[in-house]
Amino acid sequence: MKGDSMEDQAGKNPQIIGFACSFCTFKASEMAGSLRMKYPEGVRLIQVPCSSRVDPAFVIKSIFEGADAAFVAGCHPGDCHFIKGNYFTRRKIAALKEMFDAFSMKEKLRLFWVSAAEARRFVEKVTAMYDEIKDAKDAGKTN
Amino acid sequence: MKTGIFICHCGHNIIHTVDVKKVRDYFSKFPNVTVSSDYPFVCSEPGQDMIRENIEKEGLDRVIIASCTPSLHQELFKDLLKKAALNPFLLRRVGIREHCSWVGDDVEKNTEKAIRLIKAGLYAAAHYVPLEEKRVDVTKSALIIGGGVSGLSAALFLSRMGMHVYLVEREARLGGHVRTLKNIWPIRQDGEAVIGQMEAELQAGENVEIFTSTSIGSFEGSFGNYEATLDTPTGERKITAGGVIVAIGFSPFDARVKPELGYGRDERIMTTVDFEAKADSIELPAHPRVAILHCVGSRDEQIGKPYCSRVCCINALRVGEAIKERYKDAYVESFYMDVRAHPRGGEEFFEDTREKGVLFTRGNIAEIIPGPKGLLVCGEDTLLAEPFEREFDLAVLSIGMSPPVDNQLISSLLKITLDKDKFFLEAHVKLRPFDTAVKGIFIAGTCSGPKDMEEAINHGRASAVKLFGFLNLGYAFVDPFIAMVDVKRCSGCRMCEKACVAKAIKYDDVQRIARVEEAACMGCGLCNSTCPSSAIGLKGYVDTMIDDEIGALVEAI
Repeated sequence: MKGDSMEDQAGKNPQIIGFACSFCTFKASEMAGSLRMKYPEGVRLIQVPCSSRVDPAFVIKSIFEGADAAFVAGCHPGDCHFIKGNYFTRRKIAALKEMFDAFSMKEKLRLFWVSAAEARRFVEKVTAMYDEIKDAKDAGKTN
Repeated sequence: MKTGIFICHCGHNIIHTVDVKKVRDYFSKFPNVTVSSDYPFVCSEPGQDMIRENIEKEGLDRVIIASCTPSLHQELFKDLLKKAALNPFLLRRVGIREHCSWVGDDVEKNTEKAIRLIKAGLYAAAHYVPLEEKRVDVTKSALIIGGGVSGLSAALFLSRMGMHVYLVEREARLGGHVRTLKNIWPIRQDGEAVIGQMEAELQAGENVEIFTSTSIGSFEGSFGNYEATLDTPTGERKITAGGVIVAIGFSPFDARVKPELGYGRDERIMTTVDFEAKADSIELPAHPRVAILHCVGSRDEQIGKPYCSRVCCINALRVGEAIKERYKDAYVESFYMDVRAHPRGGEEFFEDTREKGVLFTRGNIAEIIPGPKGLLVCGEDTLLAEPFEREFDLAVLSIGMSPPVDNQLISSLLKITLDKDKFFLEAHVKLRPFDTAVKGIFIAGTCSGPKDMEEAINHGRASAVKLFGFLNLGYAFVDPFIAMVDVKRCSGCRMCEKACVAKAIKYDDVQRIARVEEAACMGCGLCNSTCPSSAIGLKGYVDTMIDDEIGALVEAI
């Protein structure tokens, strides 16, 4: 029994898990909140010290547990607080994406960069992702 | 395990869109939750007392506070746990305000999201272990980058309070832009005098070292002991500073970015900065006609400068006043969008200038071109909605503030963030306007956004006060979130050693396993996600904890 037991699986809104680095994306999400920007409730964040902390296994686990999609977000390349962490993230997620592609679920994983100042970008990115997942889901393409 | 869950209403900020009672009741049924309660303001004195009483009475060993975002009030709640004789790392903060109640409007959906977020916190906290913060000594010295008016005021305060100050200035002289100003409104003093006074006191101080014509070569370390290399004219100098204040100021907007205004092609078109420098030598006819353009390089989306520069309206008024004082019969016309004479007394100054005969026309200027007897200023009167074309002998562009030229360099050296306009970003716009996200690094003056002189001085002094508070303590605690090796699992493949950016992992040749040098570890967790056998873990963010958080966010509720 994954997700809400009450509702019919087909009509259910997507659930997206985001891994957000403490120094950039999580800060941007805090700012988005302070500015009362709106984004779908289905987007939920897990704070990690650096995007490089995200083990590909976490992403797979998210999908396993019933999330419709997952994203990894960190500082822009070159801006990593830990100097080179996000370069490692980029490589790892690129490899993971190929694997997702092989299982025809490329759209379930996204990687993007959002700096601490880019609250609007954060909201745009997660909302666009949510909408696309929702559209695909409603059209019966996934699940 | 005895967990206490405390849910904050935050006035109406959270309770407005989250059914707090429902959330509270949901968690009260959990077997390992001893207390589940809600309170209007958990950060208030009575709120804190309530939590403390509960910890002591019920013997709680995990505390979950669902309120504002974790980075706000974190120290306050950590102290609260310490006072209740509980290790502060058994606290979990859940941001149900910034990440839930403020970003959605639907009460039902928000309540569900709040439950999931708190549940993730509850599951995660089960993996928490008491951690010890490492105490480091703090060097009682400050590095101040930028010798403009805000850097000087910060340096003055810190030196008076007995801190050792290293003041670094890129130019040959201190004082920045303020030194070039004359007859500064409203104090009616020259910049030279203002700076001279500050400089004299600084130079008399025994605990001040001033480096002019100097740049920062390298920068590393952490709060309490930042190590920087200064490239001085007499060679390299290595210094250790407890904290840093970045006060690198602004750069004047380059009016050439707007070619239609003709700046740089005609000597009769000048900026307020040029006017300041050569006001005395400008030759004008007996009855000069002068145009003053407001908002050049400000409030202009097309060139990527949507912000108001705050000083240019007053500067434009100063130009108008200066011309009117020298030539009583001058025809001076100011073209403005809105006159934002915001400092105290600014509105009166605007009225004064008007009474002295400066004309104000609300208009957009399309272009400035050479005319038969002067400069043709063409534009649109936005009140009459009519185009106009008038001839002038001089056009003064009141330019705005652009980010400092070294912003990218300092940002990447010090690892501090720039905002969307490329000024430095503060940690919180209202609650921590002087701090950056990096502990011990503060920003002061116009490098964090346009400010007038008074604001820049105050900003510098305020940053200095904040830094002084940290430095004077003499010690600091370092987050204990560092990597640890599970010796039994480690296969000695050395992948973590290769990945570690901080070079904190050393291979033990004898036992053939990896070892972490705790002092060097930055706590990013890269090794953790690199290790193929999960033998290295980041304290506070272990694999099993994040796995359980993932589960909580999607499982059935």
